[in-house]
Amino acid sequence: MKEKENNFFKNIRNKLAGDEIFHETEVHANRLGAMILLVSGIILLIIMILTAVGVFPLPFDSVFSPSIQAIAEILILLILCHIVKYDTWWLKYVLMIGLVFVYARLDSMLTHKVPILMVLPVILSSRYFSKNLTRFTSILSTAAFLFSAIWGATHGFINLNIVTMEKGTEMIATGGFIGEAVRNAGVSDSMLIRNTVLYDFLPRWLMFSVTAIISSNIVRRGREMVITQHEKDLKSARIEYELNLANAIQTDMLPNIFPAFPERNEFDLYASMAPAKEVGGDFYDYFLVDDDHLCLVIADVSGKGVPAALFMMATKIIIANNAKMNKSPAQILTDTNSAICANNREEMFVTVWLGILEISTGKLTAANAGHEYPAIKSPNGKFELFKDKHGFVVGGMNGTRYKEYEMFLAPGSELFLYTDGVPEATDPEGSMFGTERMLEALNGEASPDPSSTLNRVKGSVKEFVKDAEQFDDLTMLCVEYKIKSDNKSEE
Amino acid sequence: MLNIGKSTENGKAVLTLDGRLDTVTAPEFDKTVREVLPGITELKLDCGKLEYISSAGLRVLLTAQKIMNTQGEMKVCNVNETVMEIFDVTGFTDILTIED
Repeated sequence: MKEKENNFFKNIRNKLAGDEIFHETEVHANRLGAMILLVSGIILLIIMILTAVGVFPLPFDSVFSPSIQAIAEILILLILCHIVKYDTWWLKYVLMIGLVFVYARLDSMLTHKVPILMVLPVILSSRYFSKNLTRFTSILSTAAFLFSAIWGATHGFINLNIVTMEKGTEMIATGGFIGEAVRNAGVSDSMLIRNTVLYDFLPRWLMFSVTAIISSNIVRRGREMVITQHEKDLKSARIEYELNLANAIQTDMLPNIFPAFPERNEFDLYASMAPAKEVGGDFYDYFLVDDDHLCLVIADVSGKGVPAALFMMATKIIIANNAKMNKSPAQILTDTNSAICANNREEMFVTVWLGILEISTGKLTAANAGHEYPAIKSPNGKFELFKDKHGFVVGGMNGTRYKEYEMFLAPGSELFLYTDGVPEATDPEGSMFGTERMLEALNGEASPDPSSTLNRVKGSVKEFVKDAEQFDDLTMLCVEYKIKSDNKSEE
Repeated sequence: MLNIGKSTENGKAVLTLDGRLDTVTAPEFDKTVREVLPGITELKLDCGKLEYISSAGLRVLLTAQKIMNTQGEMKVCNVNETVMEIFDVTGFTDILTIED
């Protein structure tokens, strides 16, 4: 029973309070309401002063007590706002009631001089995007201002245009405004009330109704907009979450524990990938095909973002599977191309450089499918671009055959592989980093290991682009061939 | 930024590229190619003012080349040094018909 009761109140509460997504806008609206109350209080004070010094032709007594009451009410409301920190569901109702009463009071004193006061609370209520609140305020305004019109007819600023008099009524000027003389002439209260309601209140109420209709339309549209925006926010939050997760998955897919082969002293390698967006189309890969053969891969999928990342994942797996079957680099690329072309209606392609290093001899067999030239440093020499033979990109044309080449790396050689994100990194003025600068960075002070070589290039690119947005994925792989493995060469 | 000029006449189309063909501009070029190609037997791509082409741009060229392989021929002309190098590196020189 109690639970049922609780639910009942909860339902009412929810109905009145509005949805959670309107919470923030409601707090803002409460602040606006409080500010308007404050301004109104100040206006009341000014009116009091002006009446006291005789600028308004009203008996000071009739202005003093309602004004003081209204100002007290405003103060109480402002203190209340402060206590609840503008953040309670019922505050908006209290504020609307307060505003309506303060304005109705002002209206009862100044009557036809301030017709606009009637519409203010309704206009303000639309700021809350709550149908119930605007409805509530409209009804409350109608009642309160009808009452104030009646009270104002007999006590407030008299509207001379609506006064009808019996034939022969005499008025005696008392000095000052005519209004006072009219009241003193003994016009009947019922006539004043009737005429005020008919000629003052009714036309004003019709205008008020139009404002109320406009306000409720603003409420409806505003509500829809807030809801739509909220849905969009939720959606983009979900997408962001998914992209972050995708980024983590992609990063984990690439071997990223360094040193990569702590038990091997013949070579050292280091690699990194920094996608321009959450996920990227670049990848590097390395693995031992067997005890004596290290496979190195660097690749760049056309395009960026999620499509490129999906394609990259598939490519990486196909290449690794082919490589682990002990095929030659050219064969690996040829077979990978056939596999990708079989299902590639989106015409995505990937540039790949793939090399297999025979650790015992230093023999590097490599094939290049449309990828950037590798940079090679001979022992005691400098990094230079090795302009190898290029085949067409992988996934571009069915039946493409790739050629491979061989070279020997002497102990102490280094091989630097990269994607076009490095030479094409762009500074704020639009000029590109270029391979020249890349080689310069590579050939800077001698570095002890691949990771410092790679970080130096990274630092150089960063310095070059300054605060320009990273536009393309940035991927690098550096291998140092240190010594021939003794046991192998002895065999 | 990329400005694409197009003119078609008697089944011959000329597309002029002015600017950078990269991830940002490739979708627009892709759309233009797909609009222009139906019924075209000779497509000429004027790259005289093409400053740069990225892999996303190459993808559109590949698509266009594949479509034209089935319905006529495609020529790429006035390629500057930067773009030519990209064609070389990516192996696109093997599949495109490049003219001066």
